[in-house]
Amino acid sequence: MTIKDADIQKLSEDLYSWALRKVPEDTKRALANAREKESSETARRTLNMMLTSAQRAEDGDTFVCSDSGVPVYFVRIGTKADWNANIKSAIRAGFDHLVETIQPPLLKHVTNPMTNERSYAGRHMPIITYDLIEDADYIEIVCSPKALGSGRWAAMELFTFPTLETIETYILDVAIKAGAQHCPPVVMGVGIGGTFDFSTKMAKEQTLREIGSVNPDPQVAEMEKRLFEAVNALGYGPMGTGGDTTVLGVHVDFAAGHGFTPVAVAFNCWINRRTRARIYSDGHVERLE
Amino acid sequence: MDTFPNIQLPMSRETAESLKLGDMITLTGPIKATAGMPTHQRILDFIDEGKQIPIDLVEAAFFHLGSYSRDAEGGMEVLYMNPTTSTRFNHMMPKIIRHFRLRCVGGKGGLNTACAEALKEVGGVYLSFLGGGAPLHSKAIQKIEQVAWTDLVSHYRLVAMDVAELGPLTVAIDAHGNSLYDNLDRSAQERRDQIIEKMNQTRAR
Repeated sequence: MTIKDADIQKLSEDLYSWALRKVPEDTKRALANAREKESSETARRTLNMMLTSAQRAEDGDTFVCSDSGVPVYFVRIGTKADWNANIKSAIRAGFDHLVETIQPPLLKHVTNPMTNERSYAGRHMPIITYDLIEDADYIEIVCSPKALGSGRWAAMELFTFPTLETIETYILDVAIKAGAQHCPPVVMGVGIGGTFDFSTKMAKEQTLREIGSVNPDPQVAEMEKRLFEAVNALGYGPMGTGGDTTVLGVHVDFAAGHGFTPVAVAFNCWINRRTRARIYSDGHVERLE
Repeated sequence: MDTFPNIQLPMSRETAESLKLGDMITLTGPIKATAGMPTHQRILDFIDEGKQIPIDLVEAAFFHLGSYSRDAEGGMEVLYMNPTTSTRFNHMMPKIIRHFRLRCVGGKGGLNTACAEALKEVGGVYLSFLGGGAPLHSKAIQKIEQVAWTDLVSHYRLVAMDVAELGPLTVAIDAHGNSLYDNLDRSAQERRDQIIEKMNQTRAR
């Protein structure tokens, strides 16, 4: 068997719909853990509301948030996968079909930046990036619908031979600037080094990492822990109305570069929309989250 | 879920002035909602031109809520609603708050000091909604009274509805000019250098 257009179309549509209705399990666990540790009553109650909202969306098969965001997909093609599909147009067809059929219907969030007109389609929509997985016999697709609430606060800056103190201070300042705005507690993704474009891609991909996963590089793992404690010490708390839990995780990746070092920071709000699945060459689909 | 005091709308100035930062309440009664920047602009234009807006906002509870509305038998229905970021409207809200003497405003993310000042003048509060709370907020809708400016996309429309036990909502700016957002920003700024120092010490080990 071969992976076909229809398989990609169906899966990209399903991934989006799942992302709108289900808060990932690791995220619910992290919210529940935070609720146990919070010293603020308002924060505990707010975390409780979050868990209730997540549960009711699942039980009622409805959306957690009204802002369904814009479609963002990461496609990773196994180099040993057997496929014959126009992946880009299949994903676009999947989103078009989703818009026509999904219940409840989506609000119009796709915005033309030249006119601020809103619709369900636009230039370069859905936003898709492609990568390869060596030796894999499947295509993996991640869907991460991105909305204004947290999308707005991502930031990047370029430094020249920065020290770790400079890098971490910048990341802390980005967290201060986002403050109460991005529906905390958030997942923070950081990309250090590489080039302008590559650093932001790393930051975005790090927001998609499992909460609680430990970076295999001990120096980076320490940085993640340090930043996690630092950002939570700011005190913004759930929904930015005060508390000990502003981030659920800080995930860092880095790449070698020249002496100019970009540092990029991205956020996922507490509902942490992300879904991931693989289509194997024999046609079966494995939903990972 | 925990239980919270329920306040009947319209809210009196006395009740608004009795609310304290961090209080969590629910609301029952009429509210008005929109999530649109063009809607706010239109409200401002109507104020400037001395025109009556189609949904009265005087001393109202006016919230930054995006909703999916559509035609249904016997009027409009709202399928779901959820807050949007209020700070986007910072530059527009002081005039709207003062003109209509808004008693409650709300959404998520808060409003700035100039808005808190306007709220203090008119005896109004800012209430923080749970973002990602569509299942909770939507179930509070009892009746859609009116959907105005249907030439706009759904979440930009101005909607008047009756709600029951909407919330819980957190009092984040009180009627006396105090703001959780300002307080938390200030304390984060005050803690910043100390946090950086602690990071440096941890790194050095």
